[in-house]
Amino acid sequence: MAWGDLCYIKGNLPETLLTGLVGPLLYLLAFGYGVGGSMGGGQDYIVFIVPGIIALTTLSATFSTVSMKILVQRLFYMSFDEMLLCPIHIASVVIGKTASGVIRATLSCVVIMLVGHLIAPSVAISPYAILLVVFGAFMFSLLGLLAGMAVQKTNTLSLISGTVIVPMTFLCGTLFNVSALPAWAAAATYALPLTHVSQLMRAVMLGTDVPLDSIAMMVIYTAAFFSLCWWMIKTNRC
Amino acid sequence: MPVAGDPIVEVEGLTIRFGDFTAVDGLTFSIERGEVFGFLGPNGAGKTTTIRAITTIQRPTSGRVVIDGHDSSTDYLEARRCIGIAQQHISLDKDLTVRQNIKYHAMLHKIPKRVMEERVKSLSDMLGLGEHMDKKIADLSGGWKRKAAIVCSILHEPSVLFLDEPTAGLDTQSRHLLWELVRTLNSHGTTIFLTTHYIEEAESLCDRVAIIDRGKLSAIGTVDELKDIVGKVTVDVSEGSRTVPYHFASREEAKAFAESQGGEFFNIRRTTLEDVFLALSGDAKGRLGRCSGTSWTSRTAWRGGTCATSRGTFRRPC
Repeated sequence: MAWGDLCYIKGNLPETLLTGLVGPLLYLLAFGYGVGGSMGGGQDYIVFIVPGIIALTTLSATFSTVSMKILVQRLFYMSFDEMLLCPIHIASVVIGKTASGVIRATLSCVVIMLVGHLIAPSVAISPYAILLVVFGAFMFSLLGLLAGMAVQKTNTLSLISGTVIVPMTFLCGTLFNVSALPAWAAAATYALPLTHVSQLMRAVMLGTDVPLDSIAMMVIYTAAFFSLCWWMIKTNRC
Repeated sequence: MPVAGDPIVEVEGLTIRFGDFTAVDGLTFSIERGEVFGFLGPNGAGKTTTIRAITTIQRPTSGRVVIDGHDSSTDYLEARRCIGIAQQHISLDKDLTVRQNIKYHAMLHKIPKRVMEERVKSLSDMLGLGEHMDKKIADLSGGWKRKAAIVCSILHEPSVLFLDEPTAGLDTQSRHLLWELVRTLNSHGTTIFLTTHYIEEAESLCDRVAIIDRGKLSAIGTVDELKDIVGKVTVDVSEGSRTVPYHFASREEAKAFAESQGGEFFNIRRTTLEDVFLALSGDAKGRLGRCSGTSWTSRTAWRGGTCATSRGTFRRPC
């Protein structure tokens, strides 16, 4: 199922990597050195935001890629229908269609991890961190698949990006500690999935206690997104 | 053991609604194994929606579709194994090459690599796709895209092949090549479900034809049976700037009618499927009605101030 999308990535690897990396590396430069430097946070702040930016990349490198690809395949190429006509289980369709997002995000995150480790050696790269990247990328790819199957216009997708994805980007503890927010805002942020990827990534990469509730929240979100995708395909609502 | 003539597709009371709009309204028909079945209708009649429902893409509002013994709503995976479809819009991934699209389809249908390579070679040779195999779909002309889509649709050797306007936009040579392909596939046992706007294509290829209009089945049968509905002989009468066809059961009746027209220009010919199609669909169908008080058959059509029966069209009041 994923083969077609992987062919595309293989044939367009430089562009795929570049578009996945420019944003996160700019965040690292602008917030890590620019804002962090002017606040006097220096190296400590860079150590703080590297895991946050990696968490952020699991969202930014997946959602738009997967949702736009599915939207184009559904509404413009009509190849999504063609794929649904094949005798394949729905779970295979869901997993296969998230693969391009997971691979793109994993490649981008590994590069950022290497860059982050070079500029802040205390940020550790471990198999758990890679596993968390794959898990987070899968969860956000499912969200992208859901959006790509649900919307009928590219404008609606832009609206979702503007009202859901952009707020998540800035509020979910990627660039600052959520505890700095007012209590009500912190509680609202806790309900968003990127907050948990961010907290877990920081714990894994900086060697602090792993918040088990964040793992539970990620599992719940992943199961919910997967079930919704499965239901939409099963009931021909895409 | 499948036997030619058995129903391979059974459609019962198929209804599809989009909000208040009923796109397909209680269709019931069956397609026999081994036949080429034509599905005709004007734009917006519900042809593509019907195909989407039969091929499991569109969930029907009500009704049932059985494909080769498999209920398409409960046993959809098995039903899908039996069907191939070349959709009206080219539905290949335009970012991939022809070869990659074909390979992708082969993988989705779990066709072994060696078998896939043999089939691809034979089909691409037949359709002349060879030199275009490594071009992206986006870079091909409409005709080559269509051929690539057809290769993908028959790669897994389906029992029933759905071709939704397969020759739309093709040049004459390509159309004839495709007709040849349809005949070859059919001679090897593949049942073909064909929609087209080229009536001569349906007349030439199809064993049976169904005409659908505004979501409802207007008529179904062999081409000859359909011609019987309106009459096998047609008289074209020149009325001012337009030519009006009048249909009759026999040449004698047509001749008698033509002679009764006095000095008006007329032409007597065999009724075509296009005449049948025009009489049974679109606005012409709205003029169909029953004509009492005549000795002719009961099926009638009104054309301006005339009354047309299945045996003929007459100027006298009914």
